[in-house]
Amino acid sequence: MDSLRQEKIQKFEEFVDRRLKPDVVHAIAERDKIFDQQKIFSDLRKNIENLEKNSVTSLRTLVNLGSEVYMQAEVPDTQRIFVDVGLGFHVEFTWSEALKFISLREEKLERQIEEYTRLIASIKAQIKLVCEGIRELLQIPEEKTVEGRVF
Amino acid sequence: MGKSEVKGMVTSLSSMFPAEEVQKAAKMVEEKLSEKQNEMNQLKEFIADNTSLINLVQKLPDELHHDIMVPFGKAAFFPGRLIHTNEFLVLLGESYYTERTAKQTVEILKRRGKSLESKVDALKAVMQDLKAEASFFDSTASEAAEGLVEIREYEEDNSTERASQSGSLELETPSVAEADNKMGASEDDEYERIMSRLEELEKEELAAEDNEENLEDEDEDANAVESDSNEDELTKAAFHRKKDECYSYLDHGQRYSESQSRKQLQQFNGKEPIEEMSDKYKHQDLTNQFASTGLTEEPVTKGEISHGRIIQQDTKTLSPSINASAPFEKKSVQTSKTEFDSSKAFTGSIVEHTQNLDKSSVGTNTTSLQSSGSQPSKPVSRFKMQRK
Repeated sequence: MDSLRQEKIQKFEEFVDRRLKPDVVHAIAERDKIFDQQKIFSDLRKNIENLEKNSVTSLRTLVNLGSEVYMQAEVPDTQRIFVDVGLGFHVEFTWSEALKFISLREEKLERQIEEYTRLIASIKAQIKLVCEGIRELLQIPEEKTVEGRVF
Repeated sequence: MGKSEVKGMVTSLSSMFPAEEVQKAAKMVEEKLSEKQNEMNQLKEFIADNTSLINLVQKLPDELHHDIMVPFGKAAFFPGRLIHTNEFLVLLGESYYTERTAKQTVEILKRRGKSLESKVDALKAVMQDLKAEASFFDSTASEAAEGLVEIREYEEDNSTERASQSGSLELETPSVAEADNKMGASEDDEYERIMSRLEELEKEELAAEDNEENLEDEDEDANAVESDSNEDELTKAAFHRKKDECYSYLDHGQRYSESQSRKQLQQFNGKEPIEEMSDKYKHQDLTNQFASTGLTEEPVTKGEISHGRIIQQDTKTLSPSINASAPFEKKSVQTSKTEFDSSKAFTGSIVEHTQNLDKSSVGTNTTSLQSSGSQPSKPVSRFKMQRK
């Protein structure tokens, strides 16, 4: 009986440590990635809006070649912009089209973030539940024996 | 009694290093090793990036411009082209950038590559160490599993006990006659031990003091020579007169100290180490006491052997009042000792400087002495007096 309980407790603890906690860590990492994406797109939107406001037609910028080595680059025509739509595809947009796409994309990212937040919360709740179960396994039988004596 | 004996222990390796623990340790080392492997992979990636960048930088100035997609943020591009293909802006570190040509950039990148290589070498050494550690753990685990035992032998040497015992023996030998008279000598065993320890400490202190005295004497000599030469070089008549005065003062001081009783001298330079004197003093006192009790002959002969011992024996045999007073006296001596030790630094030499002697008037004799007495650790004045 006692050994059975011990086994069960060990199983539960293993479940928490090997399954639930890594899951939480993974989910948080995924959510952070999406946060990064959100930031990228919000930056892009701001930049495009900035270009629009200043009605920039040509642009000079520095390109990172890697390892913080930069070279000057020239963009003769800023009207067309290629935006990453995922899976390595880039679509040629005008500014207004790009802004529309970015807002859609941001909505989607928002939804994803919410999803992940919910997932993380539920996993945390499960961890709490299992921990409570372990606590009960450790405590309640003792109470029962006491009751048995009383009866 | 106090014989050294060989003792030994046999412990099985598995009890010292349980298999589980060893496995855990091995696992930890493995983890560390994999961590380092990851780091190594990262470094290798950096090196590959660096070499490819060097190739790119070398190739770029071949043409006036290159058509590229100019990144605009991380998720967007503009179609555009690279211009000024022989101008690079290179990060030097700490967000300082510099404009370089392709050749110069390549040099910088090559230097970076070298530092990366050295990092890789260091990491390789670390990994080798970890591998050795892992193999050690593995071998330990296997040995523990085989049931190897460790045998440890050591010689037990209770030297302190022996010393104290021999000390007590020595103590008892000169006072055989008295020991017969004494009753319950074993009861005083502990007391004796304490006293012998005290004696040892005192001897050590005495030796230390002697050393110091020698040092101070040398110091003084040097100072005297220095002052002499200085004064000769500087001024003639006036200073000589002053010196004479000083010496006369010193002579006077010596006579003074000789005539003075020891108690007074004690009062005079309160912090002075008066080990020998107090010992002698006590000895005289005690012999007097002995004379009164009629035990004179024996203690006197013993007096030549050593003072401290006699005091101890005496305290035992004499009246309880002395018994009580003797340790107290010892204690006072020791406290003065420690004070002296704590402040023995270089204050002595400072007092010896000629400026002190330059206070020429006879009236300052006493004041200077008092001032030296008021400052801690002024054995100097006494030695000076004795010397000159």
